[in-house]
Amino acid sequence: MNCAECRDNLVAYIEGLLEREESLQCEAHLETCASCRAEYAAIAKLQQRLVARGRAAAGVSIVEPVMRRVLQQQTKPERNTIMSLLLKHRWGFGLSTAAGTAAIILIIVLASPKTQATAAEVMAKGAQAVAKLTSIHLRGQLRALPADNFGIINSDSEFCPIELWKQFEPELKWRIEKPGRVAVMDGQSTVMFIKTANLAVKVPEPLKTEPDTDWLQKVANLSNTISNELDNARTKGWKLSREKKRADDGRIKDVVTIEAKSSQPDNDYLKNRFFDGADTRRIYVFDGQTALLESVKIYLHAALGNKLIFELDQIDYNQPIDSAVFQLELPANVSWFQNEMQKLPDNEKYASMTAEQAARAYFEALGRQDWTEAEKFRRFTVDDQTKQIAGGLEIVSIGTAFTPKSYPGRFVPYEIKLKSGDVRKGNLALKKDGKTGRWWDDGG
Amino acid sequence: MDLADKEYVERCRDGHPEDFRLLVHRYQGPLFSYLTGQLGDRSQAEEAAQESFVRAFQSLQKLRKPESFYSWLLGIAGRVAKEQFRSLKRRQQDREVAEVMMTEPADDHAEYQLDEAIAVLPEAYRQVILLRFYEELSCQEVAQRLKMPLGTVTKTLSRAYALLRQELQARESAERTVYQTEQP
Repeated sequence: MNCAECRDNLVAYIEGLLEREESLQCEAHLETCASCRAEYAAIAKLQQRLVARGRAAAGVSIVEPVMRRVLQQQTKPERNTIMSLLLKHRWGFGLSTAAGTAAIILIIVLASPKTQATAAEVMAKGAQAVAKLTSIHLRGQLRALPADNFGIINSDSEFCPIELWKQFEPELKWRIEKPGRVAVMDGQSTVMFIKTANLAVKVPEPLKTEPDTDWLQKVANLSNTISNELDNARTKGWKLSREKKRADDGRIKDVVTIEAKSSQPDNDYLKNRFFDGADTRRIYVFDGQTALLESVKIYLHAALGNKLIFELDQIDYNQPIDSAVFQLELPANVSWFQNEMQKLPDNEKYASMTAEQAARAYFEALGRQDWTEAEKFRRFTVDDQTKQIAGGLEIVSIGTAFTPKSYPGRFVPYEIKLKSGDVRKGNLALKKDGKTGRWWDDGG
Repeated sequence: MDLADKEYVERCRDGHPEDFRLLVHRYQGPLFSYLTGQLGDRSQAEEAAQESFVRAFQSLQKLRKPESFYSWLLGIAGRVAKEQFRSLKRRQQDREVAEVMMTEPADDHAEYQLDEAIAVLPEAYRQVILLRFYEELSCQEVAQRLKMPLGTVTKTLSRAYALLRQELQARESAERTVYQTEQP
C-alpha cells in the first residue's frame, strides 16, 4: 500500500471497517511511513474531539419546547382555543379553579371519536402538568435479568423490580436501581455499579443521563418524555390513539396508546433487545382532572402477540427524597472501568487483529488463566467471578463477526466449553478503542 | 426525510412552520454543545439554545443565505449567550462567583472553535459529521440513513476532517496574529 492508498483508507481503518487484508496492509504502511502516521494521529485526535463534543450534547432534547414557542407565536390570533388556554396555564399540584375548569372543558371536547390530534393534546397537557417538578420517584417492574443493562429487554425473563429517584431541585441528582445493578448521580459525578460482578464505572461529571439508563431517565423527565413521544409520533409516523375511561372510583382517565416502531431492521441482532430499539406499544394513563401521569405499560410487539415487558405502577411527585438515596457505598475491592485505554509496548500486535482474532485471543487468555493477557482486551480488571467461570474454558468455535445497526462495534459469535462442562453460545460484543486501536470486551 | 437546510428554511418561510422542527432536531446537539462551551453550564446552555432557535425562527425571513442556516444560528446563539452572561452577572450578588463563571468557558475555547468550524463546512460534509458524532450513528448507519454506499461515507468523513483541520489551522493562525499584534 502506498501513501495515497493508505490516506484514502485511513478513516475506514480507524473506524474498523477495512477487511483484514487491507487493514494489515494499512498497518504495515503506517509502521514504515512517518508522514502517514502523523496524518493518522491528526485524524484520530480530531475524531476524539468530535466524539467528546457529541457526547457533551447527549440527552439534550429541546425540539418540543422550541416548537411549542414557535407554534404559539404562529397562532397568536387564535389564542382563545382551548389548547392555547390550557398551555398558557402553568399547571400546579394544588389545581387552581381555572385549571379545574379547563380540565372539564377538555373532557367535553375530547369526548369526540379518537384521533391523533386529541391524543396529542392529552400528551401536551400531560407534559405541561409535570413541567415544574421538584422530584419524582418511580417504582415498577420489567422483564430483564437483575444485573443486566437497564435498557435490555429479556422477554423470557421473570419480572424484576426497578426503581428510580430523581431530584430536580435544588440540585439535579438521580438513582436507578435493579437488584443487580445501580447507577447514581450525586450532583458531582455519575457511578454505575454492577453488584454481582463487583464492577463500577465512574464518570467525573454530573450526567443528566447515561446511555444505558437513558430510556428510564426519559420516563423520569416526564415532561420531555411526553413531548418526545409526540415528537417521534409526528416525525416517524407512529400511531397515537386516545381513549377516555372511567375508573372504579368514578374518576376519568385519559389513556394514550402509542405504537412505537424501532428504526432497526427486523432481522437486526439487536432488534427488540433494548427498549430504545424495540417495536413496542406504550400505554400512558393520565388522571383526567390533574393531567398527571399515573401509570405506564410497555408491551413488546412479538410474533406471538404483545407481551408486557415493563410496568410503572407507582409515581410519587414532589416528595422529599432522603439524601442517603444519592450516596453509593462501594466495596473496597471494586473493579473500576478504565475510561482510557493505555498503549501497550506491543500494541500494534493487538491493534491489527480482526474482531474474530481478538475474540479468539481473548478467550484463549481466559482459558489459560492468563489474566494479564486477558485484560489487554478489557477495560475492567478480571474479577473473581469471571476468573471462576471463565478460567480453563475451551473454545469450541468462533464465527464470523457482524455489526448490528446502532452498535458502534462488532459482535463475534462464539461457542465455548467451560471447565464445569457447560457449553455456552453467544455473541461477544467488541468495540475498537480509538486511541490504541485495540478491541475490548463490551459484554455478551 | 433528510432534506437540505435550504429546503427546510424555504418551507418554513412558505407557511410550514412545523418543518422548523426538523432543523431544531438536526442542530440541537451541536448548538447545545457550542453553548455549553460558551456558558459552562448545561441548564443555561439549554435555555440559551431554546431562545436561539426561537429567535432564529422569528428572523427566518431575514436569512439571506438559507444554505448557511447553521452558521447564522451560531451567530444568534453567540449573541444570546452574551446576553445571558450579562443578565447572570447583573443577578449575581457575589461578584467573585460571577467572575469565576465568566472565566470558566475560556477553557473550552478550542472546542467552540471546532463548533464554528463545523458550522462553515459545506452542508454535505457537515451532515455526515453531525450524524456520526452528534447522533452517534455508526458509519454503516450513516450510509443507510443517507442512502449512500459505506465507502462514500468514509470518503466524505475523510474530506470533512481535512476541511475541519484546515479551518481550525486558519483560525488558530489568525488568532496568533491578533495576539501578537496586541502585544506591546
